[in-house]
Amino acid sequence: MSTSTTTRLADAAAPLDVLLVDAALGPVRRFVPDLSTARWAVSLARRPRTTARRLGALAGETAKVVVGTSDLAPRRGDRRFADPAWTENPLLRRLVQVYLASGSTVDQLVADADLDPRDRKRVRFLVENLVEALAPSNVPLVNPASAKAVIDTAGLSLVRGGTQLVKDLASAPRVPEMVDTSGFVVGENIAATPGAVVFRNEVLELIQYVPQCDEVHEVPVLIVPPTINKFYAIDLSPGRSLVEFSTQNNRQMFVISWRNPDPRHAGWDFDTYVGSILEALDAVEEITGSARTVLAGICSGGILASIAAAYLAGIGRQDRLAGVVLAVTVIDNHDAGTVTALSDPRLAALAKARSAQKGFLDGRSLAEVFAWLRPSDLIWNYWVNNYLLGKKPPAFDILFWNADTTRMAAGLHADFVDLAIENQLTRAGALSVLGQPIDLGKVTVDSYVVAGIADHITPWENCYRTTQLFGGRTRFILSTSGHIAALVNPPGNPKATFHTNDEHGSDPKAWLSGAATHQGSWWNDVSVWLDERTGALVPAPKELGSTRLQPLADAPGTYVFDK
Amino acid sequence: MSQLRQLTVLGHSVRVAVRPGTEPGPPLLLCNGIGASLDLLEPFVDALDPRIGVVRFDVPGVGGSPDPRLPYTFPLLALGVGALMTRLGYDEYDILGISWGGGLAQQLAFQQPRRCRRLVLVSTATGSLMVPAPPRVLRKMVTPQRYRDADYAVQVAAELYGGRMRERPDDVRRLMHDRSRVGSRRGYLLQLLAGAGWSSLPALPLIRQPTLILAGDDDPIIPLVNARIMRALLPHARLHVYPDGHLGLVTSADTLAPLVADFLRAGGGRCNT
Repeated sequence: MSTSTTTRLADAAAPLDVLLVDAALGPVRRFVPDLSTARWAVSLARRPRTTARRLGALAGETAKVVVGTSDLAPRRGDRRFADPAWTENPLLRRLVQVYLASGSTVDQLVADADLDPRDRKRVRFLVENLVEALAPSNVPLVNPASAKAVIDTAGLSLVRGGTQLVKDLASAPRVPEMVDTSGFVVGENIAATPGAVVFRNEVLELIQYVPQCDEVHEVPVLIVPPTINKFYAIDLSPGRSLVEFSTQNNRQMFVISWRNPDPRHAGWDFDTYVGSILEALDAVEEITGSARTVLAGICSGGILASIAAAYLAGIGRQDRLAGVVLAVTVIDNHDAGTVTALSDPRLAALAKARSAQKGFLDGRSLAEVFAWLRPSDLIWNYWVNNYLLGKKPPAFDILFWNADTTRMAAGLHADFVDLAIENQLTRAGALSVLGQPIDLGKVTVDSYVVAGIADHITPWENCYRTTQLFGGRTRFILSTSGHIAALVNPPGNPKATFHTNDEHGSDPKAWLSGAATHQGSWWNDVSVWLDERTGALVPAPKELGSTRLQPLADAPGTYVFDK
Repeated sequence: MSQLRQLTVLGHSVRVAVRPGTEPGPPLLLCNGIGASLDLLEPFVDALDPRIGVVRFDVPGVGGSPDPRLPYTFPLLALGVGALMTRLGYDEYDILGISWGGGLAQQLAFQQPRRCRRLVLVSTATGSLMVPAPPRVLRKMVTPQRYRDADYAVQVAAELYGGRMRERPDDVRRLMHDRSRVGSRRGYLLQLLAGAGWSSLPALPLIRQPTLILAGDDDPIIPLVNARIMRALLPHARLHVYPDGHLGLVTSADTLAPLVADFLRAGGGRCNT
């Protein structure tokens, strides 16, 4: 698998609250024509002349296709029609041309209609998905690659594909298998950086990693990972692990591994999670003897880390923090990409009720929603590969991680949905956690904020707005690629760059136009930033834990294995 | 320190905990009670002689092992456990089964006579042909409610588990809930189903391994007489009755673990008592 493909796959993702609302309600809802679709139909009916003109043009184009004078062709780089047979076989060429003509007509009809932006986005989403699904490349035997595979394997490819289809449909997530998981073993070749669980409570395990240098900086780093997947996105295969990289750069690393909640833990909410982060912070201080810690958070973990930092600032204990690092974290949700188009308060309430009834949000339905947000890459690509060609999906560590789903406690789900919809963290005191009104402006320690330019879950412009929320000095870094690929960004990739600009005005576009571009990965940049804030180098501790907090289990711990 | 792994055995993902022994020798395979995840046995493993390696696992549909697709039986499960031990690199092992897992342990001893060296049966009986518990106790065993609702577990602990749980029913919260994993209702029902119609009673004389039977004198789920029946029918068995209830292996781990270790390491070959 080429780097560009892997990067693209890794970037396929969705905004947090769309994910959370849709996962609770099921992705099917979005394929059913709704009020927006009805408004579209009405709008088209009101302008019969435009509509008739579009349909007439389609009829004309179809006629040209039939006689062979149409010059319609798939856009370059459309992998679905890469096989030469699509252009050389007269029948297949005509099929593709009719498909393309119909698709663009539907597209124009959406553009023609008089719709508000929200309805337009919804209709466009529905229509694009349908057009994608109807592609001739998805049809067995019509797709030339599939026809060739049938001849080459004497039909076995279809048997294999059919068996795989039945297997995938038999249990959630009802999407094609995207990764060959057989080569990955958590704790052996993934999440394999040496360390130990040094503290455990009901909600989390705290992993301390073995320093891989003789000397370490006095001030440790505590990472709060996302709550909607296992923590090991930051500890993938050796050489691609942020944790490993950090321990090799004089860092004392502590990482939280969240417990995978079940129905008994329905009540876990912001109070529970932030309370647990504070307990983990106590443990880090006890073990390292450091009075200050750098608190880092990733995606939804970054939201929790920000709340924890604001809580400490609120109770006057900000001195416990040496800095805050936030990676691919959106705190200000205003107009975040497709969010406004796809979720509304009524659906949000319904989603919360659904998860409350079950006690949790099922990770597998999250995975389904995830896949249907990028259907061409995550559904139809594998539809062709797995079912039509009867081949195994590729082995890729990020997708292995992605397939290892987790549940989300109903309480946390509800709190996150409210937070996103009401945009609570942008207004001081709009949210109270552990009895303390949360005001990010009171956090005056330095912060480091990193985002990915092609991120679909946490748009970088939204990540950028964090620079306006915290009270201290903020360094904002814009990395190449998207959500996970921005995160898994080991130095050495010649294509990796990042942008910096010390003028953090309120407009992200202005910030970008004035930004300087640097070669390399932000991992090196954050390392320099941390070096300045994590004190002197001292001899690395010989043993993990403390007298009281003895190692309980080897990394990656026990909670990570909870299915 | 136990290492947790998620292994795929016969197409099923299974959560496994391995504590390597400090000395070479066959490890002890623990077969857990119905609905219980491997975490429940932590106190016993901690109390057991560190020289002995220990393997624990979650049956499909329980704890950290996802649901099985199809119903299974004890012989099928024993086949899977054999494959699991092969995957872990163990050819020969000792087996300890508690309660429902005691049924599996007997099946394993019968089905894999060359691989299973010694057998320890705790708070267990002979399957569907046994002297049953009172109906009010059995009724509470039909659902996994006690694993899902800590308050309910505390409420029924004394009546269900007897022994030390009578004085300190709150302990059940710590033992069965704080760090445990809870499986699905379907997983629990399939586990119940696996035992339906199964009985070891006719096969007991064919189990030739040295066997240690441990039974509590206040076990509401498995009346003590069952242990005496097994003692009579197993050719190389001895019985030890301890003053505790159904969860004695956990609540009295400090006294029972040394007993098990002695049996496995030294006196295990001679079972004449």
